[in-house]
Amino acid sequence: MSISHHPPEELLADFATGRLDEADHLVVSVHVSQCPACRRFTGALEHLAGVALEDTAPVAMKADAFAAIMAKVDETPIAPRAEALPAQELPDDHLPDDDLPEILRRFRFGKQRRVAPGLKMQPIILPGTGESRAFLLWSAPGARMLEHSHSGTELTCVLKGSFSHEGGKYGPGDFDFGDGDVDHQPIVGPEEPCLCLVAMSGDLKLHGMLGRLISPFVRL
Amino acid sequence: MEWAELIGRVASQGDREAFKLLFEHFAPRVKGLLMKTGTDADVAEEIAQNTLLAVWRKAAQFDPTTAGAAAWIFTIARNLRIDAARRAIRQARADQPVITDEAEEIADSPEIIMSRRDDVSRVSAALLKLSDEQSRVVRMSFIEERPHAEIAETLGIPLGTVKSRIRLAMNRLRDLLDEPT
Repeated sequence: MSISHHPPEELLADFATGRLDEADHLVVSVHVSQCPACRRFTGALEHLAGVALEDTAPVAMKADAFAAIMAKVDETPIAPRAEALPAQELPDDHLPDDDLPEILRRFRFGKQRRVAPGLKMQPIILPGTGESRAFLLWSAPGARMLEHSHSGTELTCVLKGSFSHEGGKYGPGDFDFGDGDVDHQPIVGPEEPCLCLVAMSGDLKLHGMLGRLISPFVRL
Repeated sequence: MEWAELIGRVASQGDREAFKLLFEHFAPRVKGLLMKTGTDADVAEEIAQNTLLAVWRKAAQFDPTTAGAAAWIFTIARNLRIDAARRAIRQARADQPVITDEAEEIADSPEIIMSRRDDVSRVSAALLKLSDEQSRVVRMSFIEERPHAEIAETLGIPLGTVKSRIRLAMNRLRDLLDEPT
């Protein structure tokens, strides 16, 4: 598997410094977990952030801050590998697909629903969603999506299968960034259904006569 | 002073002296950086305290071969800040039950941690090659979260130059990181 489409660098930098919406953060983190180049990039940003932290002018902590921390330390001793993921307690059959990346397996999912012919989606339940929402999107092999653009942004990471548009071919691990300037009409690869993780803010705008006719029925 | 060594002593012996030194150095800086990026003083204090508490608890997970101590502490503070922001959104909405309250939820996955180890030398080599001018704008824009207009004023350069310099710095960093070591 070779990844050839990456998030814009500014988006990666916002990811590394924790400035993305939860849904956007999730989609970028799935890409980054599969992409060594972007991992190096975010690692570099974190390194720069560490240097900046060292250089930051200190602001005095409250007088009792250290004592407060030590009181908590004494309350709960160090738990070995306390990072047990909560989702491991969830039964495996809560997952809508067997091969989801590790990061996604710890989330809960909403109800799956049909969006349009050959297209279904399932929302990911996020604790504190901001502007954007995240969902899984399945599309049938060979499906031609309607030409569309966005009033907000659309971040996509391919999990299985592929799609193509003017930007090229997108396979597993590839990342696609769309905003109001992008007007595209993806075509799903013929080999298998395409499964994508998508974070979307704003609305989808469908173009063309057919798009305008059916857009009241297409809800994402 | 080797911060990594102090974290190691906290991990192996629960060394409180070592931890106190870490606290005295990093807590006020975490608080300072958070306040600089617009977090109010009380929240910044709380996040800085929780960051140091996490440094104590996770000291054994710190791996000096994957990150410097300051970068590691930055990522802890970053995750706690994200967590605090999400909690605020949830409280404002007072809606659905929550999966967890811990920042660990959005911490790096094991895959990320594993491969980061291989990347360290490349990252530091690349950062050394980035010009001061470039690393400065990246830092001001993304880490200090200063608006482009303010960066332009501070550096005494036009707004358009700030934008293009950030773009160039990002591209250059990407290229440097892609070079074989």
